[in-house]
Amino acid sequence: MNKKEIAIALGIMCMILTLILVIQIRTTNSANQIVKQTFSSNNLRDQVLKWKERYDYTYSELELAEKKIEIVRQKASENTEGSTEKEEELKKNNILIGLTDVSGEGVIVTLKDNPNVSLDSTILDPSMVIVHFGDILGIVNELKNAGAEAISINDQRVVSTTSITCEGNVINVNGEKISSPFVIKAIGSSIYMHSALTRPGGTIENLNQYIQASVKQSNNITIKKYTGIINPKYMKYAE
Amino acid sequence: MIIIAIIVGCLIGALIGIYAPMVSYTYSGYLAIAIIASLDSVFGGIVATLKKNFNLTIFVTGFFGNAILAILLTILGQKLNVDIYLAAIVVFVGRMFTNLAIIRRYYIDIVVKKIGNKKKKTVK
Repeated sequence: MNKKEIAIALGIMCMILTLILVIQIRTTNSANQIVKQTFSSNNLRDQVLKWKERYDYTYSELELAEKKIEIVRQKASENTEGSTEKEEELKKNNILIGLTDVSGEGVIVTLKDNPNVSLDSTILDPSMVIVHFGDILGIVNELKNAGAEAISINDQRVVSTTSITCEGNVINVNGEKISSPFVIKAIGSSIYMHSALTRPGGTIENLNQYIQASVKQSNNITIKKYTGIINPKYMKYAE
Repeated sequence: MIIIAIIVGCLIGALIGIYAPMVSYTYSGYLAIAIIASLDSVFGGIVATLKKNFNLTIFVTGFFGNAILAILLTILGQKLNVDIYLAAIVVFVGRMFTNLAIIRRYYIDIVVKKIGNKKKKTVK
């Protein structure tokens, strides 16, 4: 093999090497920001999944413990006299404070962001056509006013400690983030609640100008229990 | 002549590279491994030249073979969820350092000999 051939071969190889080097440097330069972002978001996703797993595990443990409590309570009520009354009272209290699943007649209110708005529509502000926490608050208020006994928003039970707040682009109920579509279930007199919401000039008519709101009467609604813990620290029993 | 060919090749490669389309980020990882493998081959080639047993066929096949093997191993590692590319990097970079050390010693020997010759001349 003579020198000329070696020189040509080396030249071609150096060309290929520098070619891929330059391409690689340009790619990494342009992709650097995206990469960092995806890296951190991957990390975050991992963390979320881990926490979710832990949450599920703890929640299943909690359910087991609750079942045990139920069994113990039943045994206790079998043994002692007069404890059946107490058992009844306990059940009633749990229903009232939202610690058991309840069912009955009522209404289902659905609120959705309005998707039928294009850029050239007459509504100038796009935030007008999405559901805000105030809309949900208004519905809940109206339902309570019409005699609702149990209310849940996207399966978050409304209890005495519930707050409905705005958290950027999501709404926070009971510390859980929920988003559109919002399904508000309420147990109570379905006729009263339905008419209270749909009366002319009422909440639903008002909301329907901007977002998509609908009410449905139902004979059998199941509302899930409150999954958090109500633990009073400051209030005490006053004599 | 060889040096001229190398420089010309590098220049042409850089020029084409500037105007070539970019690789998507998914494949740039494979390309990086290929670059490391090729660089390793280049250092190996330099060492072989210094030892005067340079063989073009071996060099060319090593250059492309190493690169392709490294890429294939990386793909396999991704399929198996093992970071095999780390092993490739360790091996290639380790060899690069050994080759670099050999090259350094070779030139240091030459320089030291020259200085020694000069001293001898001045003594005489």
